[in-house]
Amino acid sequence: MGPLIAPVLLVPIGDRWLIESRATFEADMTQQPGSSSFRGQVLKSIDYLQVDYIANPYVTVSVGRFLTPFGIFNERLYPIWIRNLQTDPLILPIGTGPSQASTGAMLRGGFRATSKFNINYAAYFSALSTVTLSNVTPLNSDRLAGARVGIFIPNARLEIGGSFEHLLQDERSNSFGFHGGWQPPALPLEFRGEYQRSARGSGYWFEPSYRLSQVPFWQYAMRRTQLVARMQQYFVGRLPSDSLPPVNTRQFEFGVNYYFRDGLRAVSSYGRQFSELGNKNIWTVGLTYRFAFPLGHGGDN
Amino acid sequence: MKFKRNLLACLSLLILGGVLSAAGQEQAKVADSSVSSPGAETAPATASGSSKAIQKSSFSRFEGEKRYRANCGRCHMAPHKFPPRMMATIERHMRVRATITDEDVQFILRYMTE
Repeated sequence: MGPLIAPVLLVPIGDRWLIESRATFEADMTQQPGSSSFRGQVLKSIDYLQVDYIANPYVTVSVGRFLTPFGIFNERLYPIWIRNLQTDPLILPIGTGPSQASTGAMLRGGFRATSKFNINYAAYFSALSTVTLSNVTPLNSDRLAGARVGIFIPNARLEIGGSFEHLLQDERSNSFGFHGGWQPPALPLEFRGEYQRSARGSGYWFEPSYRLSQVPFWQYAMRRTQLVARMQQYFVGRLPSDSLPPVNTRQFEFGVNYYFRDGLRAVSSYGRQFSELGNKNIWTVGLTYRFAFPLGHGGDN
Repeated sequence: MKFKRNLLACLSLLILGGVLSAAGQEQAKVADSSVSSPGAETAPATASGSSKAIQKSSFSRFEGEKRYRANCGRCHMAPHKFPPRMMATIERHMRVRATITDEDVQFILRYMTE
């Protein structure tokens, strides 16, 4: 059993500034022998703590500790109340590292390039950090520089893009990746996927999901039900990694999610992992609940 | 090494080109801003004025919903409405997180706080 709480703090200052942070408290609870109680250690982490300055419609400057914008999963799909399947893609640590965060500065933004499509981008530099608040709260990051560029076509609801990153320490290697997402406007269907490659490994994941809102029976329940699948494959690189699988790995998952209402849903999935270390099943069952409340006088105006 | 430099140069040029391209369209966007600006709702009290105001309001709502579905609907369900000040903070957060355009943020914010 693994309860997880991930509070997000947002503090707007004036019209252009925003301080934002997300922490994670995760417990891995196991039942004690001869007892009905569950005990375990609580892992704490500060996922990001950054100050944003919206300089103009095209550029936002962020400084502090931020989620490394390599690919789309880490930045946009990682929160447990957003992701369709609760497991991480195997290739997530490529480009984002073990802490999935960088410490430094970033320029980012999105703007309308033509009447047909928007461009979004992020360019960042991260300094080496070995800061550890305690044995369970690391704030480490690598020294690196990188960028991500994407094109979003609103009418087709299609986004494609690419990421590049250069490690400025150790083996000074490059990583690159491509990402895509498509929601056909006429169907409650969505496709997402990423391909990433680095000296420590490469691989891809592809995730289709389908809301059953067009099924003609049991409509109240069906339109709240989502089917999701994810296929992924990972290939070992020439350099070792602590956070990536040690051998070539394939994984398939299938899940069913039920949305009680916005912010509250039941999630379940079954997966099968195939590797030289042995095949195994991966089961997840859970509830995700997202809520928001003002800390100050964040009310009516 | 040369390959890395070329790749970085290409990425920089791509970003710069996009910024310049968008900046070039700034004038066209300014012409449309009467629709997206928060002050657009203060229409004249004449008959034709109020008719225009209703048209603008309908257009704004339609655009807001369309842009909500295109941008936010990729990860979020049907809109859950919060008080305006909270919504503005959430929109600012999502503008940074999901790199939503300034114009889209204006339409979505108005739609979500109507």
